[in-house]
Amino acid sequence: MTTSQKIKKTDLGKLLNQWSQEFTVLVPWRENGLATWAKWNGTDTSFIDWYRNTVVPAKAHFLPSQEEMFRFQKDEKGYHIELPDADEHKQLIFGIRPCDARALTIVSPIFEELYEDPYYLAKRNNTLLVGLACTRPCDSCFCTSLGINPAESIDVDLMVTDIGDQFLIEGISEAGKELIAGASEVKEATEADEAKAKEIKEASYQKVTRKVDTDNIKEKLSVCFEDEEHWEKVADNCISCGICTLLCPTCFCFDINDELVKKQGTRFRSWDSCAFSIYTKMPMENPREEKWRRVRQKVCHKFEFHPMSYDIIACVGCGRCIRQCPVNWDITQVLNNLPAKV
Amino acid sequence: MLLPVVEYLPQTVLSRLEIYMTLESEWEPRIVGFLCKWCSYAGADLAGTSRKKYLPNIGIVKVPCSGRVDPLFIVKGLRMGFDGVLVSGCHPGDCHYQTGNYRARRRLAITKEFLEYLGVEPQRIQASWVSASEGAKFAEVVNEVTREVREIGANRLFADERNGTKAAKGS
Amino acid sequence: MKEMEQRLQKEARALLEQGKVDYIIGFEPGSLKFTTTPLITKDKEDVERLVINPFIVNNLSVFLTELQGRVGIVVKGCDSRSIVSLIQDNKVVREDVVIIGIPCTGLIDLSKVELVTGKDRDELDDIAWQGDKITVRFDGEEKVFPTEEVLFDNCLGCECPTPQEYDILLGEPRPAAPNLTASRKNLEKLDGMSSEERWDFWKNEFSRCIRCYACRNVCPACFCKRCFVEESEPQWVLPVPRWQDNLIFQVIRNIHVAGRCTDCGECERACPVNIPLRSLSKRMYELVDELFQFKAGMDKDAVPLMTHYELEEAEDFIR
Repeated sequence: MTTSQKIKKTDLGKLLNQWSQEFTVLVPWRENGLATWAKWNGTDTSFIDWYRNTVVPAKAHFLPSQEEMFRFQKDEKGYHIELPDADEHKQLIFGIRPCDARALTIVSPIFEELYEDPYYLAKRNNTLLVGLACTRPCDSCFCTSLGINPAESIDVDLMVTDIGDQFLIEGISEAGKELIAGASEVKEATEADEAKAKEIKEASYQKVTRKVDTDNIKEKLSVCFEDEEHWEKVADNCISCGICTLLCPTCFCFDINDELVKKQGTRFRSWDSCAFSIYTKMPMENPREEKWRRVRQKVCHKFEFHPMSYDIIACVGCGRCIRQCPVNWDITQVLNNLPAKV
Repeated sequence: MLLPVVEYLPQTVLSRLEIYMTLESEWEPRIVGFLCKWCSYAGADLAGTSRKKYLPNIGIVKVPCSGRVDPLFIVKGLRMGFDGVLVSGCHPGDCHYQTGNYRARRRLAITKEFLEYLGVEPQRIQASWVSASEGAKFAEVVNEVTREVREIGANRLFADERNGTKAAKGS
Repeated sequence: MKEMEQRLQKEARALLEQGKVDYIIGFEPGSLKFTTTPLITKDKEDVERLVINPFIVNNLSVFLTELQGRVGIVVKGCDSRSIVSLIQDNKVVREDVVIIGIPCTGLIDLSKVELVTGKDRDELDDIAWQGDKITVRFDGEEKVFPTEEVLFDNCLGCECPTPQEYDILLGEPRPAAPNLTASRKNLEKLDGMSSEERWDFWKNEFSRCIRCYACRNVCPACFCKRCFVEESEPQWVLPVPRWQDNLIFQVIRNIHVAGRCTDCGECERACPVNIPLRSLSKRMYELVDELFQFKAGMDKDAVPLMTHYELEEAEDFIR
């Protein structure tokens, strides 16, 4: 008795079309050589062949690079605030990789526990994730060091694995199982299909060759926190751009800005990065004026401070920060070469 | 309806641009003019005192020298929805500070050409040399600039919907 | 290239040993295939890691303004012009740098290799330079491409393969052979458009921008301590990545670096979302040349473009 389903690859379009009736379906898309997300256009499933991962992570669909929070105006009676219409549109992200799905699991508590962030949560609660097993990890990937199998995920609603001319579909959440409940193209998977998927998962796991030694990483970082010379060396080729942080699926910092035109105001929030020197700028002082302090903050936040508060490392090994870095600054080398041995 | 005039702190430049934006009526070209206080601004004054008539579509920002005009003023003017930007200073050789207008000329040349390359219509960025005694020339410049800007129509460069009806939401 | 590399290591070691420089800035192998990473070191043992290959993409002069002391720096032609430009702007003192020049044959654009091979960069086994051809090996196959197809656009139009200014030259000077048509390919497309189409093109491109500021931070000509986009009093541009603000940022950035930009192409290469920034910077580079017959970074004694003027020059646009 098998628990999973399958669908012919050629029928994928039909399934996506069916989902499109209820959801805004987002699929991997390539434009100007850039892998990104786009609304399913009803026909093109060519991403099956080229897609490895997107440059901008799926977090952009929950915490967009910029969004309008509300509008306001001031008159003699005070401020009037006009909230945007409640965002109730349902979206379905097809093809999210296990690393990015885990990232959402890591990030969500931040918008849920300390305070409830209506903007993030509205989108998160209205979104279903259909994971796509990663069978061709990049040479910058190191997800396995963070406890992720590139072809397996429990952070999605539905998990899809390419097993040749078919996709194996595993329902993970109840909502995910419902997604395929009535689909006519979906068949019961055989034991052979499941065996094949298992084989693919194991093979994918082996394909990730970049490793990070995360044993006692919190303690190691804590010990060398004050080692200024070390961090200066680590940071010396960084150019302080925001690529590694803005494109990081677990980075969630945002900035809030008001725009006031003719007494009509709009409040925006947009991505921010601890790599920017004005990130911590305050009147009189900037505690992270020097580049090495900012680099240290980035590393320590992910591997030391976040685990202290949430008991999980805020990195999923997607490798974007390595792949996209203009100077090839590599966090795995930094972590593997910490001076402190614990 | 001659628009009011301001002094030249960056903040004032910005807030003044905002005041000019509030004009509401049927579409009429709105032009912001950055005038050097030593020449073109006095030229505008002379046009007024000598009862030269010119079109009321220009809002004037007084600057200490055409050399003060940062390309950012020009781009920001367009961003805020002005249909044209005029920079006017002293004739070459007449700068109160010796060289300000020469520097302005260089900067204006690249700003104008570069913005045209991006797709800004050439008529939107205008420049003139008007001395304090050229009241008539000032009136003529304003009329000409207004006419040219009227011909190309409203500035929808920074509007989200270019051909729609939504107004350019400035910043 | 191997010979150049050995000579570089020897020279760099000597410079450090003799105390002629405090730092060496060069390239060492990167952690991904076909990449290099800047090596900034005081330690003479590190010089063994220095490499020279067709992937030394960074313009290292960007690090000069942040280091104290005397620096030995490895440069390609375009990078040397950036240094010259920094000297013009009094940002770098000529005597404080020992310029180690590479007569440059051009750099390989991995995005182009991906395009012609249909493979991602990490799936390629080898990229080798043979004469005027590039051989790429993948899946047990070998494919040969003319350099024109895989070099960076700006390299194809390079006017200055031999550094403009150097103390040590690692090899024979190379004559310039700019292929303008090839290097202007993207610009030509824009030239053929109407103003409206061009504006819409840029509007679309800049709607992708995430404001990571990599274009600004990799640029040696962008040396302001505080960028105008970071000003909040008055706030000319919001730090919010709306296309309008992104576009204004880029327009003004290009105006600020007019006469300083040497067409090194770093802004476009660094952009994570593939905005064709060189189509802007190259146009500004051409404009400056057309209007004022000025090319950035060619003469260290030249007066910086924007601090200077001629009595008679382009003004037919002024009434």
